Amino acid sequence: MASVVPVKEKKLMDVKLGELPSWILMRDFTPKGIVGAFQRGYYRYYNKYINVKKGSIAGVNMVLAAYVLFSYCLSYKELKHERRRKYH
Amino acid sequence: HHGGRATRIFHTGQPRLAPLPPLPEYGGKVHLGLIPEEFFQFLYPKTGVTGPYMLGIGLILYFLSKELYVITPETFSTISIVGLLVYVIKKYGTSIGEFIDNLNEQIIAQLEEVKKASIKQIQDEIELEKAQQAQVQKCHYLSDVQRNSIAMALEVIYQERLHKVYKEVKNHLDYHISVQNMMHRKEQEHMIIWVEKHVVQSISAQQEKEMIAKCIADLQLLEKKAQAQPVM
Repeated sequence: MASVVPVKEKKLMDVKLGELPSWILMRDFTPKGIVGAFQRGYYRYYNKYINVKKGSIAGVNMVLAAYVLFSYCLSYKELKHERRRKYH
Repeated sequence: HHGGRATRIFHTGQPRLAPLPPLPEYGGKVHLGLIPEEFFQFLYPKTGVTGPYMLGIGLILYFLSKELYVITPETFSTISIVGLLVYVIKKYGTSIGEFIDNLNEQIIAQLEEVKKASIKQIQDEIELEKAQQAQVQKCHYLSDVQRNSIAMALEVIYQERLHKVYKEVKNHLDYHISVQNMMHRKEQEHMIIWVEKHVVQSISAQQEKEMIAKCIADLQLLEKKAQAQPVM
C-alpha cells in the first residue's frame, strides 16, 4: 500500500495509523530540529489566537488551563492520599 | 572572532516587495473559552452538535467517580474564584476590549496621518513640477517676440544703409554732372566773348565812320518826323 505522497511530507492528521511509527521516526530529532518544532508550534498558536485585531480571553485562557492541568498531573501523587474512598 | 572581517550578512531571506498582509480580525473560535472549534468540527460527522458536550460531561463524571480528580477544600475555592472570574469577564469584557482597541486605533491613526501628510507633500511637489513644466512650454512665445523684434531692427538698419549708399552714389554722379554743366557754360561764354571780339575787330575804322554818319542821318530823319507829328 504505497501512498501517493511520500510519508515524510504528510501532516500528522493525514498520516494513516499504520504509518505512524515510520512517520515519527522520520521526524528531525536533532537539537536544531526540536527547537524548530517548538518555534513553529509557538508561532502557530500565537498567530492564531493572540496576534489578531480583536483577540479574546481564550488565547490566554487556554494556556492557563493547560498549565493547571499540567500542575494537577504533577501533584496527583500527593493528592492521592486525600481521596474519600480507597477503592473505586 | 573573525579578525578583520567587515561584512556581516543580515536578512538573507527574500526581500518583501509589498506591504505585509493585514492582521486577521478575530482569532480562532473557542467554545467555553477553553476548547478550540477544531475539536468540535472533528467530532461533528460522527456525533453531531451535542457530541463534544456529552463527551465533556462524561469525562467529568468519570474523573469524579474514579477520583482521578479529588474533591478537596481547594475545589470549593477554585469554584468560587472561577465563577467570579467568569462573571467579571462576561460583564466587562467587551468594554475593556473596546477601550484597548481605541488606544490601538489612535496610534494607527497617527501613523496614517504621517503617511498621508507625506503622500500629500509628494503630490504637491508633483503638481508644482507639472506647473513649472507647463510654464517652460510657454516660453517659446517670449523668444518668438524677441526674434521678431530683432529681425525688424535688422531690416531697419539694412534699409538705412541702403539709402545711405544710394545717396552717396547719387552725390558722386551729381558732381560729375555739375562739372560737365559748368564746363559747357564756360565754353559757351568763352566762345561768345571770342566771337564778339572778332566781330568788333573785323569792323574797320572806315566802316565805323560810315555807320556813325548813317546813324546821325537816321536820327535827323526821326527828329523831323517827331517835329512834324505834334503839329498835326
